[in-house]
Amino acid sequence: MEVKLHDIGEGMTEADINCFLVKPGDMVKADDPLVEVQTDKMTAEIPSPVSGRVGAFKVTEGQRVRVGTTLLILETADVSTVNQPAISLPEKTSFHQEVFESSNGVLNNCNQIKYKRILASPFTRKIARDHKVDIEKIQGTGPAGRVTDEDVYQFIGQQNEEKPKEELFVTVIKEKQESQPAKEEYIQGTTLPFRGRRKQIARKMHQSVYTIPHCTHFEEVDVTELIHFRGELKKEKENISATVFFMKALSVCLKKYPIFNAVLEEEKERIRLISEHHIGVAVETEDGLIVPVVKDIDKKSLREIHQEMKDLTQKALRDQLTIPDISGGTFTISNVGPLGGSLGATPIILHPQVALVSFHKTKKMPVVMEDDQIAIRSVMNISMSFDHRVADGATAVRFTNLFSEYIKNPKKLLLELI
Amino acid sequence: MVVGEMAHERDLVIIGGGPGGYHAAIRASQLGQKVTLIEKEELGGICLNKGCIPSKLLTAQAKKHREILSAGNMGFEIGSLKINIDKQASNRKKVIDQLKKGIEALCQANKVELLKGSAYFLSTDRIGVENGDSFEVYRFKNAIIAAGAKPAVTPGISFDGKRIHNKWTVSFLDQIPGHLVVYGSDVNALEIAAAYRTLGSEVTLLLEKGKKDFNFDSSVTKELKRIFKKEKISILIDSEIQSTEINQEGVILTYKAGSDERTLTCTHLFISSKNKPNTYDIGADRLGVGMNSEGFIQADRQCRTSMPNIYAIGDITEGPPLALRAISQGKAAAEAIAGLSPEIDLRFMPKVVHTIPPIATVGLTEEEAAEQGLNIKIGHFPLMSNGYSALSGKKEGFIKVVSEVDTHLILGIHIMGEGALELISAGTIALEMAARDEDLTFPLYPHPSISEGVLEAAEMLNGKAIHIPPKPKNEKMKAKLL
Repeated sequence: MEVKLHDIGEGMTEADINCFLVKPGDMVKADDPLVEVQTDKMTAEIPSPVSGRVGAFKVTEGQRVRVGTTLLILETADVSTVNQPAISLPEKTSFHQEVFESSNGVLNNCNQIKYKRILASPFTRKIARDHKVDIEKIQGTGPAGRVTDEDVYQFIGQQNEEKPKEELFVTVIKEKQESQPAKEEYIQGTTLPFRGRRKQIARKMHQSVYTIPHCTHFEEVDVTELIHFRGELKKEKENISATVFFMKALSVCLKKYPIFNAVLEEEKERIRLISEHHIGVAVETEDGLIVPVVKDIDKKSLREIHQEMKDLTQKALRDQLTIPDISGGTFTISNVGPLGGSLGATPIILHPQVALVSFHKTKKMPVVMEDDQIAIRSVMNISMSFDHRVADGATAVRFTNLFSEYIKNPKKLLLELI
Repeated sequence: MVVGEMAHERDLVIIGGGPGGYHAAIRASQLGQKVTLIEKEELGGICLNKGCIPSKLLTAQAKKHREILSAGNMGFEIGSLKINIDKQASNRKKVIDQLKKGIEALCQANKVELLKGSAYFLSTDRIGVENGDSFEVYRFKNAIIAAGAKPAVTPGISFDGKRIHNKWTVSFLDQIPGHLVVYGSDVNALEIAAAYRTLGSEVTLLLEKGKKDFNFDSSVTKELKRIFKKEKISILIDSEIQSTEINQEGVILTYKAGSDERTLTCTHLFISSKNKPNTYDIGADRLGVGMNSEGFIQADRQCRTSMPNIYAIGDITEGPPLALRAISQGKAAAEAIAGLSPEIDLRFMPKVVHTIPPIATVGLTEEEAAEQGLNIKIGHFPLMSNGYSALSGKKEGFIKVVSEVDTHLILGIHIMGEGALELISAGTIALEMAARDEDLTFPLYPHPSISEGVLEAAEMLNGKAIHIPPKPKNEKMKAKLL
């Protein structure tokens, strides 16, 4: 049987062959890993669907293949005569399956007339084809169940929503180092490969910037008390990172300003507020920055969040994050403070989220206190970008004011904890 | 092939300059491809040189013949009518040459490189083109196979091109046959039978083995049989030609009707056989492209074959051997290569037959709709009730609309009668647009016109055609003209 690159989720359509984990002639059992593939976001092992003996490889290491491509031949017990021709013919195109496999899985030969008639004008059908959606799957809302242009666009919108993993990919900052030997078009020292994670980032950033009218404002947050409080906790052997406090404070603020924890559904003419607070945290790894998501911040204790953060960070550093780990975020933070030096930024929102907050360098500075005395305080700059289609500047400023209040006086945060 | 041969580099190579090939070439060029079109014989392919165009010249000639003879009731005094075969042939040549020049000019205007020669695939990216002593090798990125098909050889029958003809030669007869036997039941068979009968031949239609009827909507079949009977075209069903013998007078053919063996003498025999694809002639089989058991190349709805850079269109691919399919496929293949998202959908492919009167149908027949378990209603309108049909003296035939009761959707339109060939496009568009009965009855129709028949057939779905009396007892009731 042919072992194919199946859909490995995240809406990915292609993957690079990292390495084979078996060699021809090997006996494998069902679920034994056969091939390691690398998508733009993650590494995955393709398991053996059944027991059998590994036959010919149909792809080579380093090759980029589309979903549906045959990776290797597996000789199963009952089909022991699967011998490949000595001359390997060019691999058959996978396009058939990709575009024209109908919902019942039958390849639509051009002469084959499907029983189900599509009630849509040729113009509407073309819109569906151009967006690579199967019009048969679209429920028509027009007269007599006719599929209208709007139905197609709405379906496309829904599909994008159902693929949050793709939407939620990370603001990776650092270039992923190519683990494979430089490909021929990559000239050492003068050009850098623009593909894989880098390309994915480019696409996401492009999409965000060209979709969302960004508005960014800056704020100074007095973190003196928080540092003090964390110091006290540390003495009690309770080490809770500052980021965890920021996340909790943000969650409390989001409850009051849920507009920043939402998705704009333009085609449905509505803004959908999301009740869950899943906050993505940018983590720098050797391969680049990745954004694991800590789920349900509003329902978890600071300690739980801290532990989860720690686990996710470790996973990120070991490149072990799974798709669920980086999926489902509703708000994103980026803590570049520890890197030092940065006073502010205009961060790009992770589409389709509404807002993102960056935490910058904390420095000691003289501050005029309420009693008009000058004191040395620790002050951190924050930058908040939000989608100006969804919210306005005043709301965003009120949001960061509230956040600032909780961080300035972390005890106030206690009052909000469940 | 010589080691170290020089291959010319090309982007898109199209093998075959028939309707599929040249449409593909021009569309690809419109989309920015550099196109090389290879044709071993004549541009326009079988369609222009041997098929559609010559046969339509013949059916048009027959139609004109009929019109002249029936013009008497308009006050013309017609003497005897004589056909000048030489003039007929020179007109045919003139028409074909003119159309061919048109294609050539269009290809040049679109910067399509035309290569003359026989193409043969050397690998999935190289093709050899042989023209006389020269043999050149071209390396291509993409190829569209549009090499067509030829009439299959029928065992035991030798086509001499004088007495026994296939579909490539039957439109080029140098005389009107005394007695023509047509063997087959497809479009070609019906058209040739009707045309030569109208031009004066005695015609016998021999339906092939197992064939007892025509493949139309039952109303069309009934009307066609009535007209053939009236025209004195005799139909012999379920027959199988065993052997043929050519003598000075003509052909003696032995055929089996059921279990009886019979003979028939005629001056000319036309065998409307199936096609044999040219897959092997161009070495496409060696590439490993997917073929069916008869060698027709399998192509998907974007005309892709099983080879990623090789596309196939037209008669060489599986499916009905019709130029309209090749044309649609040609453009789709070019668009797919250019990265667009075309689609071939033959669901509402109109079928037309240039009989007298012509037949044109699209969509489901009454029987097909019933077979699918659909709850249908029929709107039937005889053209004798149509004003324009009456005044032009072409009252034969009808327009029939099949519709689904619950949804009001139009499922099929079947026309037999003057104007059918052009009117059917209204039906095709209605079906593609998912029209319902009101979508056909609401629009304004020119008056008087045959197209009003479409309106009244659609109105008949609800029994509301003006020119059909309530509860008709007899369809032959005379029309009351406005």
